[in-house]
Amino acid sequence: MSIVSYLKSTILSKIVMAVTGIILLLFLIGHTLGNLQIFIGREVFNQYAYFLQSTGELLWVFRAVMLLSAILHIVTSVYLKFYNLKAKPQKYAVTNYVKATLSSRTMIWTGIAIACFLAYHLLHFTFGVTNPEHTKYNGYVEKGAGLYVEYNMPVPELIEGKYIEIPDGKILFKQKDVYKMVILGFKNPFISIVYIIGVIIVGFHLNHAIQSAFQTLGLNHPRYSPSIIAGSSTFSFLIALGLISIPVSVLLGIIGGVA
Amino acid sequence: MKLTLYIWRQKNAKSKGFMEKHQLDGVSEDMSFLEMLDVLNEQLIHEGKEPVAFDHDCREGICGTCSLTINGTPHGPEAATTCCQLHMRKFKDGDSIYIEPFRAKAFPVIKDLISDRSALDRIIQAGGFISVNTNQAQDANALPVSKEKADLAMDAAACIGCGACIAACPNASSMLFVAAKVSQFALLPQGQPERKRRVLSMVEQMHQEGFGACTNIYECEAVCPKQVSVRFIAQMNREYMGAYMKNEE
Ligand code: FES
Repeated sequence: MSIVSYLKSTILSKIVMAVTGIILLLFLIGHTLGNLQIFIGREVFNQYAYFLQSTGELLWVFRAVMLLSAILHIVTSVYLKFYNLKAKPQKYAVTNYVKATLSSRTMIWTGIAIACFLAYHLLHFTFGVTNPEHTKYNGYVEKGAGLYVEYNMPVPELIEGKYIEIPDGKILFKQKDVYKMVILGFKNPFISIVYIIGVIIVGFHLNHAIQSAFQTLGLNHPRYSPSIIAGSSTFSFLIALGLISIPVSVLLGIIGGVA
Repeated sequence: MKLTLYIWRQKNAKSKGFMEKHQLDGVSEDMSFLEMLDVLNEQLIHEGKEPVAFDHDCREGICGTCSLTINGTPHGPEAATTCCQLHMRKFKDGDSIYIEPFRAKAFPVIKDLISDRSALDRIIQAGGFISVNTNQAQDANALPVSKEKADLAMDAAACIGCGACIAACPNASSMLFVAAKVSQFALLPQGQPERKRRVLSMVEQMHQEGFGACTNIYECEAVCPKQVSVRFIAQMNREYMGAYMKNEE
């Protein structure tokens, strides 16, 4: 029994697609809600980012689960796509869909687009590869002063996550200025547009994905299914709207005036 | 009515097919789609040409033999209707109509508009039955069935096995067909003894025949002449998961 022997059964493959998809979706929900805290302000947002960074091993367990889910989701979908192309080698001279929605028929393509977008997103914000000038800023929180934050202080020798005393007697705590990173990133209209398009594709993918996961896991009932389908669309729309609101607000100067 | 027909012609299973254009005049609105093809074939025979081969049997929408993809839709534009029950009044004078066979790798075309759908029979042979020792029939009331279950089982059993679901599916998945057969038995007491084995072996056979994987786009349900619901696919997914995990064989 190898780990990928589930691929021999199309139903088991679909279940793997649904379960890994749900794991990724749960992350996306958390990610969206977490990121919306940027509207509360710089201190809260940076504190939240620091909290995530400081979870230690838990962060790595979490990253491992996400990575594994993403890999299984991608491997299974690509395998199924080739499997399905083989099952229908000859297309009709005329194609006409009665019920199939555009988003349901383009899952593999929106999926590939999302994978590319995700890779760019990680290189940009998480690994600081594409725009290192966005990720190099730090903030300093003063101990005992609540959320008092001094930014852009020239004390680069401070070690991230450690309290340290500076000459004037204050005890400071260094954390990444993630807020500034987001603002700088989205101030660039080109980057913002890439994000907006990426998120719209995610919403489009979810529109079919959520209700499809219900069906695959055997949850279909005439009384609930219409609400599941409508809920799937509404929910995807809200996720996309929430995520788009950030670059749009930055571009319009609603948030980030200080950065 | 005057029609321009584009029809798939293919000499045999090995040869390559092509779309052939035909003009047909004097079609009555009251003709069924297959009667219209009969008229075309008469015309072809008079011209000394090979008539178009197509599958049909009952011509009253119950046997599931007729199998034409009309303008890209299996069984044509009318919902819940086999193409033998489709009437020419659904078309307009001067229309162009594309007629193709049901397509899937597991449905090889053997001549013109006829595709070999015996893969579906092999799926049935794999488990789409109940084993009954023949003897005196037992008392009907010994096996109570609720009205709801009986109705639902009947909805699944409405499947005439025509294969339109597979022909309509971009993945050529046979999930709706197999799900209808699996659910029909799973809902009734007679189906219980072989319930787990049935779903596992029918799904296994479905894989061996080369049908694709379902992507829940529900085109199958939309073209099904008997309106079999995709809720049975969800039911089969449940049956399969349960049987897979509890399988003792
Ligand atoms: S010929 Fe029997 S259903 Fe059409």
